[in-house]
Amino acid sequence: MQSIKETKHRSPDWKRDFGERLFGILGRDGVIHSDDELLAYDCDALTGYRIKPLFVVLPRTSGEVSRVMKMCYDEDVPYVPRGAGTGLSGGALPTDEGIVISLARMNRIIEVDIPNERVVVEPGVTNLSVTNAVSSYGYYYAPDPSSQIVCTIGGNVAENSGGVHCLKYGVTTNHVLGLEVVLPDGEIIETGGKTPDHPGYDIMGLMVGSEGLLGIVTRVTLRIIKKPETVKTLFASFDRIEDAGASVSGITARGVIPAGMEIMDNLCIRSVEEAVHAGYPVEAGSILLVELDGPSAEVDAQMPVVEEVLRGHSALEIRIARDAKERDLFWKGRKNAFPAMGRVSSDYYVQDGVIPRSKLAQVLGKIGELSREYGLSVGNVFHAGDGNLHPLVLYNSKIEGEPEKALELAGRILGVCVDSGGSITGEHGVGNDKKRFLSLMFDDNDLETMNLMRCAFDWKGLCNPGKVFPTPRTCVEQGMKPYAEHPLQKSGLGEMY
Amino acid sequence: MPESSIFNQLTGIVGGENAVQEPHLLESSAVDGVIPKIILFPENIEQISEIMKTASRAGASVVPTGSGTKRGIGNKPLGADIVLSTRRLNRVIEHESSDLVATTECGITLTGLQSHLRRKNQFLPVDPPHVQGGATVGGIIASNDSGPLRLRYGTSRELLIGMKVVRADGSIFKGGSKVVKNVAGYDMPKLFVGSLGTLGIIAEATFRLYPVPESSGTYIACFESLDKAHDTVKSLIDSALVINAMEHMNPGLAGSITERLGLGSDYKRYSLAVRIMNVSRAVDDQVKTVTDVSQRNGGKGLIIQDENEESFWHEVREFPWRSPASPSVVLKTGVLISDVPRVFLLLDGLSDKYGVRARASARAANGVVIISIDGDKESVINSVKELREFSESAGGSLVVREASPDIKPALDVWGGMGSSLGLMKRIKSAFDPGNILNPGRLF
Repeated sequence: MQSIKETKHRSPDWKRDFGERLFGILGRDGVIHSDDELLAYDCDALTGYRIKPLFVVLPRTSGEVSRVMKMCYDEDVPYVPRGAGTGLSGGALPTDEGIVISLARMNRIIEVDIPNERVVVEPGVTNLSVTNAVSSYGYYYAPDPSSQIVCTIGGNVAENSGGVHCLKYGVTTNHVLGLEVVLPDGEIIETGGKTPDHPGYDIMGLMVGSEGLLGIVTRVTLRIIKKPETVKTLFASFDRIEDAGASVSGITARGVIPAGMEIMDNLCIRSVEEAVHAGYPVEAGSILLVELDGPSAEVDAQMPVVEEVLRGHSALEIRIARDAKERDLFWKGRKNAFPAMGRVSSDYYVQDGVIPRSKLAQVLGKIGELSREYGLSVGNVFHAGDGNLHPLVLYNSKIEGEPEKALELAGRILGVCVDSGGSITGEHGVGNDKKRFLSLMFDDNDLETMNLMRCAFDWKGLCNPGKVFPTPRTCVEQGMKPYAEHPLQKSGLGEMY
Repeated sequence: MPESSIFNQLTGIVGGENAVQEPHLLESSAVDGVIPKIILFPENIEQISEIMKTASRAGASVVPTGSGTKRGIGNKPLGADIVLSTRRLNRVIEHESSDLVATTECGITLTGLQSHLRRKNQFLPVDPPHVQGGATVGGIIASNDSGPLRLRYGTSRELLIGMKVVRADGSIFKGGSKVVKNVAGYDMPKLFVGSLGTLGIIAEATFRLYPVPESSGTYIACFESLDKAHDTVKSLIDSALVINAMEHMNPGLAGSITERLGLGSDYKRYSLAVRIMNVSRAVDDQVKTVTDVSQRNGGKGLIIQDENEESFWHEVREFPWRSPASPSVVLKTGVLISDVPRVFLLLDGLSDKYGVRARASARAANGVVIISIDGDKESVINSVKELREFSESAGGSLVVREASPDIKPALDVWGGMGSSLGLMKRIKSAFDPGNILNPGRLF
């Protein structure tokens, strides 16, 4: 749906006029237009792609967002929503001749409603500040992506972000209860809310994870949950990473669903240990981090089961965190796995794929083979509980051809994931980066159906265009006719449905 | 109105023995009085696809159905030429127990699916009504039906990770995947939860599963007042207990259920049932804590387990459909957790004002209240109106899940769908431009 090519011819003064009109809506301080300032918005955390936008706007209200989007729709100007820019798939990459709508200034927590276990926020509020706002009441917000200190709830909604506790507590979509959305043409709607089971289609469910292609979320109602009575964290070390992988299915097969299970291979252990001194055994082939939480009696009953499974899979050492401080240290190692890799290799590419838990050992073997075939190191650190792998492909950008080789290897890894029955992305999104891989999972008809849905939201294809879909098609190319209410229906004389 | 020749084509797709055109059988499959012209029992997704191709070419309306246990939901259809039953699509395609995931055809009954999963000591943690009546997986998804266990596990929406659907034009598409964590492409399965067969025919679904808990226990207590019962709810919500279900019943319902089960006659008051499912020791510990909290608020109660416990929860799920009275309605309202007592008070008021009989059970920690009302026609209609006014003004919703035929035409089934109604209509139009799938049932 690249409508840009079809846009009307712009007069030489068009850009200036358009900017003036943006000033009119947002004030001078709400529009970024100077070249050097615009450069800060030319990419997100996937820095390999860069496009400088025409303008960046910083609205403060849903009304302002709506007016800007309506203006863009009237003028056929594409636009890209942006939160904190921590996305790893290029989802917030600007579009040629388009603008960026930053939600950074819409950062108020609107309501904290403890008795009803709800928090209502604007999209620019950071993930962690939701938990901070309710922590003194014994509550927290469950999805916890590694970037939670800076990433925004709006971005989390767009990407359906996960984190390290999804196996037990689910991902963003399981914790969003209501949204205010500005649709691509500027119409403001509400979907879901603080109360459950609204009748009609689950528009909210579609919006979560739609990567900014279906509209811009301007208010989010979240579910908060009570902190568990007890939390216990342990790690086990193994010679072989396959044993760590097999332990993971072994634990769930025994009916235990831990709050989190994370695996790191030797390459990651060493780099993390050097960086943050988490107390991991540097000689181990891999470690598996397991966190159990819940009522004390439950955790006490499950801990021996977990230990038994680990020993049964040749665990070398099992260490249970003695207190909260040591638990934080265990986690600190895991959460710093990506940045720590920077000490080992000048450049690395973070892949994000998902496999069925039961295929862990097999897939890790194949990744090892690919790593040898390409002559590039691959560090493995992943959310083992839900099968979400994050292979880190190491390369040196100064060596000619190596970046391309690394990308190709990363792509081959996705193929392995899909062949095992998994997915090309568990939490980073398709964005701009993985469009070509989407057809590994979905055939033409699946993709056409998704596009059909998109056309119901965005007839002109102006909202974050060029992302997610491998071969964008306009709604007309797809044989659709614009929706029009039947004249009788419009006049209130009859209902079409 | 489709031409008669299409019936031959349709029969040809499924075979004569799987197409029903006998008048008395057609009559018994009527949807709100609209009698179908043919009932088809396709064997697989390809046959569903062929049926839909034929129907869309002819402009024939199609009502998808499973076992028909929830035929009463929704508006009267504008057409019901073909009733398409998924009952023969009843195979479990794959149960990967080590991944806690299963893929199944959607005509399978929930009972059938559970007994398959049970072999590996796992289950799909949904407990909607009509399970004994043969509720199918597809019907549960399409009607977004749920039960008390949603407190711990969510509804089918939270458990559904993948789906295969036949669109109105007969094309087959899949959404989601077979892994629990996946963000590739739009989350299409969500669109079909609660869509009531208006966007496509759900043929296959993939769910995340849970291990069957080692033990279960339920504490039931009655209270002197609504306030005392609600105070107990508040304390339990504000605790670190992991509760599977928490049901708050009004005196009319609590009395009739407990009497029916022979649990004593003290319960004709506001009562609370709290269910814990966990390892045995955690069940014992937590049930004890629940008992303590309840007793501090003057609750008098008992602990039930095993068969008694199962029968009790069965009654909680099925009570609204046990009322033979007419006129009657079954309602579901969604309100804030803190507004649940106000719904109960309103029901008391309606009983006083109109003389209706109202029984109600609230998923107290979710804000969902299931209500059955019977009485004379005008009184029931007025009661529904007043309840809806309350729910909608409090930011919630009220849906008529079932109504006796004598009053259904006078009721607004769905109430307001809010500011996203226009978008919903555009989605319907994109998926079903000919408006042949369950036309009019939703809007």
